[in-house]
Amino acid sequence: MTQTPRPRESAPRGYPAVVGPADPVLTAVVVALVAFGVVMVFSASAVFASRTYDDPFRFLFRQTAFAVVGLVLMLGIARVDYHRYRPLTYVPLGGAVVLLLAVVLGFGRTAGGASRWIQLGPINIQPAEIAKLALILWLAYSLSKKRESIRSFQIGFLPHVLMAGILALLCLKQPDFGSAVMITLLTFVLLFTAGARLGYLLGAVLVALPIAYLLVVGNEYRMNRIRAFLAPFEHRHDVGYQVAESLMSFGAGGVTGVGLGDSRQKLFYLPEAHTDFISAIVGEELGFVGVAMLIAAFVLVVWRGLRAAAGAADDYGTYLAVGITMFLGLQSFTNLAVAMGLLPTKGLVLPFISYGGSSLLVNCAAVGILLNVSRARSTQEADEAAGDPPADSNDETGRRTRRRRSKQNRRRAKGVGVGVVAPGGSVG
Amino acid sequence: MKNLAPRRRRWMRARIGVLALLLLGGAGAVGHRAWELQVDRAPALREMAEEQYLRRIRLAPKRGSIYDRHGAELAVSVDVDSVWANPRELRREGGDPRAVAAQLAQLLSVDRERIEARLSSDRYFVWIKRRISPRLAAEVRRRELPGVHFDPEPRRFYPNGPLASHVLGFANIDGEGIEGLELALDERLRGSVRAVPAIRDRRGRVVFSQQLLDDRAAQGDDVMLTLDRTIQRIAERELALAVQTFEARAGSVVVMDPHSGEMLAIANYPTFDPNQPGASPASHRRNRAVTDRFEPGSTVKPFTVAAALAAGTIGPEQLIDCMNGAMEVDEYTIHDTTPHDHLTPAQILALSSNIGAAKIGGTLGRRGLYRAFRRFGFGEATGLPLPGEADGILRHFERWYEMDAATIAFGQGMSVTSVQLASAMSVLANGGKLVEPILVRRVTDGSGHVIDEAAPRVRRRVVPERVARLVADMLTAVTGPGGTAEEAAIDGYLVAGKTGTAQKADYVTGGYSDDRWLASFVGFVPADHPRLVISVVIDEPVIAHYGGVVAGPVFRRVGEQALRHLGVPASDGGDALARQQREHERRRRLARRLERAQRRAEAASGAAARDAVAGVAPQPGEDEASVPELRGKTARAALAALRERGLRMVLEGSGLVRSQRPEPGTIVPRGERVRVELSPASEGPPAPERATTLALGPMAEPSSTEVAR
Repeated sequence: MTQTPRPRESAPRGYPAVVGPADPVLTAVVVALVAFGVVMVFSASAVFASRTYDDPFRFLFRQTAFAVVGLVLMLGIARVDYHRYRPLTYVPLGGAVVLLLAVVLGFGRTAGGASRWIQLGPINIQPAEIAKLALILWLAYSLSKKRESIRSFQIGFLPHVLMAGILALLCLKQPDFGSAVMITLLTFVLLFTAGARLGYLLGAVLVALPIAYLLVVGNEYRMNRIRAFLAPFEHRHDVGYQVAESLMSFGAGGVTGVGLGDSRQKLFYLPEAHTDFISAIVGEELGFVGVAMLIAAFVLVVWRGLRAAAGAADDYGTYLAVGITMFLGLQSFTNLAVAMGLLPTKGLVLPFISYGGSSLLVNCAAVGILLNVSRARSTQEADEAAGDPPADSNDETGRRTRRRRSKQNRRRAKGVGVGVVAPGGSVG
Repeated sequence: MKNLAPRRRRWMRARIGVLALLLLGGAGAVGHRAWELQVDRAPALREMAEEQYLRRIRLAPKRGSIYDRHGAELAVSVDVDSVWANPRELRREGGDPRAVAAQLAQLLSVDRERIEARLSSDRYFVWIKRRISPRLAAEVRRRELPGVHFDPEPRRFYPNGPLASHVLGFANIDGEGIEGLELALDERLRGSVRAVPAIRDRRGRVVFSQQLLDDRAAQGDDVMLTLDRTIQRIAERELALAVQTFEARAGSVVVMDPHSGEMLAIANYPTFDPNQPGASPASHRRNRAVTDRFEPGSTVKPFTVAAALAAGTIGPEQLIDCMNGAMEVDEYTIHDTTPHDHLTPAQILALSSNIGAAKIGGTLGRRGLYRAFRRFGFGEATGLPLPGEADGILRHFERWYEMDAATIAFGQGMSVTSVQLASAMSVLANGGKLVEPILVRRVTDGSGHVIDEAAPRVRRRVVPERVARLVADMLTAVTGPGGTAEEAAIDGYLVAGKTGTAQKADYVTGGYSDDRWLASFVGFVPADHPRLVISVVIDEPVIAHYGGVVAGPVFRRVGEQALRHLGVPASDGGDALARQQREHERRRRLARRLERAQRRAEAASGAAARDAVAGVAPQPGEDEASVPELRGKTARAALAALRERGLRMVLEGSGLVRSQRPEPGTIVPRGERVRVELSPASEGPPAPERATTLALGPMAEPSSTEVAR
């Protein structure tokens, strides 16, 4: 371990030094998934694009550009020590809240009855995607800071649930039920990982379920999705159309598929074939074999991600890794389950595969962080700071001016953070 | 985590493990579901999917083209725009079916309510209007109506208009043959594939499938006919001219190659434009040359003579007693136009003696005559691929009446079609063989491969070559000086042929009409090396009715121009000169005989003049009638007016009636002849007219074209 050449970019002082490379398996799987996504986006969108935009390559070119940028971003972020995000936690969170508010207040672009995007030049930004990553960053920061007090209701449980509640509510307003559910789920997952009392978690679930039920029943749009989910073929010609077409796509593919590019369902039968329901096109063109390999790839991502979480140098790294892994894993399996009619339609994309710039960039950034967490770190330095998180332990040690400065920054950051959270909580 | 207390670290690992298991469970559930959908339920789901995009669409392959023998287009399919709508798309794009229907109705002059009902339906595809003009299509396109689309559809187009319209027939809007070859060859022209599975997208557009890309499925077979567009045009023009000149009811001309049996032209009049078949009455659309049978009259005499020569029942120089122009059979009398005592077979043909023909027929016996005529192809369809071809009537000899045995020999008591006549005449032209008439020369598939090619086929030998030559030689006298059809002679070519002037059967009185005629001429040219057989039939000419006068000139003009078109040399050195010399001598011989015949005719001046074809109808009842005012009427109108009163007409000249005798208002016995002089509308005193001269003819009395009985 000590023989391993120390990577050039070092961890911030006081944090365990990076001594190993990023997980090559995870890197390879994600690069393969992104590349596969470009191919599938082209296959699924070519007919639609040539009819709609008179340019069959429109989505291919854009997705390729996003993929290149995303992979560069991922590899770049993988080289940045994740501890550097700690002081910046509130920047993405605040940004996400502002963007979500902007969308909710009507500055967004509307498509398909929901305004989920903000147009920024040629790119449409989906604030909900950013919010998910921002929330993970914040939860990891907050939970690792609170440590043992996590088991308390007021300090360990309520602030996190409130913050998640705000973000979920903003997503619901768009409306984006899928992201709201995802945000809630991620919060619960991280609280669970950090060791929050199961009683609180179960209680919250008991409270949340009736609310979710009312939200669904009180909204014709969501109710239709439930109806479609329960009996897609009975509602084949109205609300169940998309699910029914998706199921038929999978069925038409059979074991080996109809062949890459030969999907029939993409001829306008299956709506959103290149975005939310791209897995159905995978199922049709590449068959069960293709779908199984896709699932295996995501299982591999989850396995390597959780492995990185278990081997992370500190709580913060663990929470980040768990959050990101669960984010990717939950999103991909939920998407597949929706496409296969196992869950009601949510409007969640398939990570790395579905067309969409903001989703791909956010996912790549998230994997970049995950990759950095996966890097082996020197145990000595970690042992030096053993027992206490660096931010607190170094407070009294006071070694160098530089360290002091960074410490002060951190403290300032912490103070700001608390300041924001408390009123946020009271407002929520 | 390594910085954590071991107990806490274990717990956290355990919790991560729980999460991993949860996700793994999710992955397992998804994988299991994928197996269920893609393996267990795959057939059912696939069937549902295919049901929506695999439609057995009725393919409208491009209909094959029809060409003449040189590849000129006679019938082609061109793509024009058809307007259709997708009502679902219209609604999806927020269009108002009512407003769109109103616009379409106004633009395309279609029924607004019907279109609105269609647009309000729940379908993906409804027709609005098919095959509209490019100008209209552009107009509709400019409106950019929601859910309204255009598809190219083939439209049948006949670039030559009425040319060969009866042969071609026509196809309806769906490209289904309705008449003529379009009907008879429908399967081939339309293409073999009627409905193929094709993939269509959700918007109803057909996405090309492999089956559709197959040329053969996308296009019907092309048909190349034996018709020659130029000869067809000549035949139609001359026929129309003759029918109009003689104020006839209808007519047909058939031109064929006697050796191969190829039909070079099949012309009918009246005609129609297949581009607008609905614009003409059904009677104009009838392919009379094939579907209409008529009593041929004298034109069958050569076949009688040939059959007797072949059977050896007469000799080529044998003299036959023609009974001075009247022969009793049963209670009837058969007459000749001009009485003769003894004539050779050649003379019988040249002078068209009914009695001579009946006697020659008699030598064969009923069975012999019947068999011979059957062998010439009478009484059975020629087998042209045209719908509704008539067999003609040649009753079995056991069912012949006493009279039939005599009259059938000169073409009464049987019926034939123009095509049968031409085909039978080909036997004499080609040396005695009945060849199968061919109309379709070649069929090629969409990619140009020949599927079917017609080869000349001899049905049977009818008479020995020697006999055919002999009769052909005899027939050249017909167009010689003093023959019945001098008008059919073509300068520089030897013409063989036979006239026919048949009274039409009158189905009202049960006998033969005395003023409705069928003039015909069937012959071939050049007589020594025949290239063309031409049969001309003119139905109910009014101005004149002799075959030689009415049909003969049509033969001449068609033959003349067709030979020039085919590049048949008019004379080829010494041979031609010698032939002309022989021909001259033959004509002189004939002229001398004719003089004798005429002297005899004058000697028997009491006898009524007779036509080439004798009528055997009963006399009409006697009564009286007042002569109507005829002046200023056309010949046809005058005839109709007289017929109404039971009077008959004798006419001179052509044009409008200038004078009549007796005067209008005179009371005359019914059946009396009214003499009518005609002159061209704008002229004063009538100059001796060409038509009049022709009408007199060499065989008739110099005074008039009196209708005799």
